[in-house]
Amino acid sequence: MAKEAKEVAIEVKDVWKKFRLYHDKAYSLKERVLFWGRNKAEDFWALKGINLSVPKGSTVGLIGRNGSGKSTLLKIISRILYPTRGEVKVNGRVSTLLELGAGFHPDFTGRENIFLNASILGLSRREIKERLNDIISFAELGDFIDNPVRNYSSGMYMRLGFAVAVHVDPEILLIDEVLAVGDLAFQEKCMARIKELQKKGTTIILVSHAPKQVAELCHFAVWLDRGEIKMLGEAKEVARAYDEFVRTG
Amino acid sequence: MWGRLKEIYIYREMLLNLVAKELRARYKGSVLGFFWTFFNPLLMLIVYSIVFSFIMRAGIENYAMFLFVALLPWNYLSNSILQGAASLVQNASLIKKVYFPREVLPLSVVLANLVNYLLSLLILIPALLLFKVRLTSALLAFPLVLFAETLLVASLALLVSVGNVYFRDLEHITGVFMTIWFFLTPVLYPVEMVPSDVRKFFTLNPAAPLIEAYRDIFFEGTWPDWRVLLYLALGYLLLFYISLLAFERWQRAVAEEV
Repeated sequence: MAKEAKEVAIEVKDVWKKFRLYHDKAYSLKERVLFWGRNKAEDFWALKGINLSVPKGSTVGLIGRNGSGKSTLLKIISRILYPTRGEVKVNGRVSTLLELGAGFHPDFTGRENIFLNASILGLSRREIKERLNDIISFAELGDFIDNPVRNYSSGMYMRLGFAVAVHVDPEILLIDEVLAVGDLAFQEKCMARIKELQKKGTTIILVSHAPKQVAELCHFAVWLDRGEIKMLGEAKEVARAYDEFVRTG
Repeated sequence: MWGRLKEIYIYREMLLNLVAKELRARYKGSVLGFFWTFFNPLLMLIVYSIVFSFIMRAGIENYAMFLFVALLPWNYLSNSILQGAASLVQNASLIKKVYFPREVLPLSVVLANLVNYLLSLLILIPALLLFKVRLTSALLAFPLVLFAETLLVASLALLVSVGNVYFRDLEHITGVFMTIWFFLTPVLYPVEMVPSDVRKFFTLNPAAPLIEAYRDIFFEGTWPDWRVLLYLALGYLLLFYISLLAFERWQRAVAEEV
């Protein structure tokens, strides 16, 4: 998949990620001193030697069982986590959707939360104002947009979160399993919006459990299994292989 | 380093939103809300004034104003550091879900307290006039003194916030430390009252020359010592730079530890 340097949006070089799983975490100074060396901990390697080169403008599907390391990989690419070994090079502004409505304040109205949420995703006031109307109409909340968010149903909450997220317009978009929300009509709208972003040349990494979705939307796909890349290649092929594996496994 | 600062600048809207959220929570809905944040320092002011003017007679003229002028910048320092200490831990869920330069969290706390301090001047200035304290052009030095203090405050807030993620009791230790520091800083008393053989140690206190400067410009009406102020500002600039570096280094594992 790799091409020349400037055509690569994301470069993951031999990334390993280890988590220390404590049986009983010592959080205070006293505990650390008293239980020095006696803290029982296990090392869990969530990612083992991941090498990936994502060309600009491509859409990559990330598939695998739960716990295979997909979210961890996304978090490392977006700098929420740092690799234990290896490095990640990113070319362009990244927006990560791990959960919708990050930072939503229940007392603020939907409109106010748009500003808050969008600012957490890195937009300036001017950029938010430019997108405000598009976001509001995408969310389809009607008059509720000026109601405090605590009065929203969970569906409305997600629609608002997604509406903001898809209008951030980054060069690189990382989407964890947040697309499986909302009713069918809304899902279609989200797909359509993603296709729009694709046309704009956004590089997208999409975590999905639906092989069909991956085959339809993505150019390439990466199949992660227990922290390692099991298969990497054309989306349709990988999706088919994964589908078969899940059915027969 | 510049990259990091530039990033914080990119996220300035988030910084401002966090400050607005904090201020809204404090001043919720009413003018009265604004005065509630004064209730505590005002109460302290009244009690300390009574004690040191009438009971433990310190013999300081116009003690209430003498104290008020130093108490407000001290509270700015103290509150920023104490609230800043909790800032990362309190926003754990946000840190784990979205990427943003985490400096924004403790810095928003500092900024909110800065705004609080500036608003409190609306009470301080009339109070000074009421108590017949002479206000002079020395007030022009205020921005520089405030800038120097902000560098110190921001540095400490950054360090304590990230340290608290790894050592959860740092928050409480900081509370005790701030109390001790308060009494070792000439806020309640003038530095002249400190016995001369101990006074050199008092000059090691980074907050002491700042408080002195505030007292100079607001209470005495004199310009603060320029050389001291300049050294201070440069020293705190260096401290701020080091704090930013340390924070950047230590914040990497925060999403796992918090």
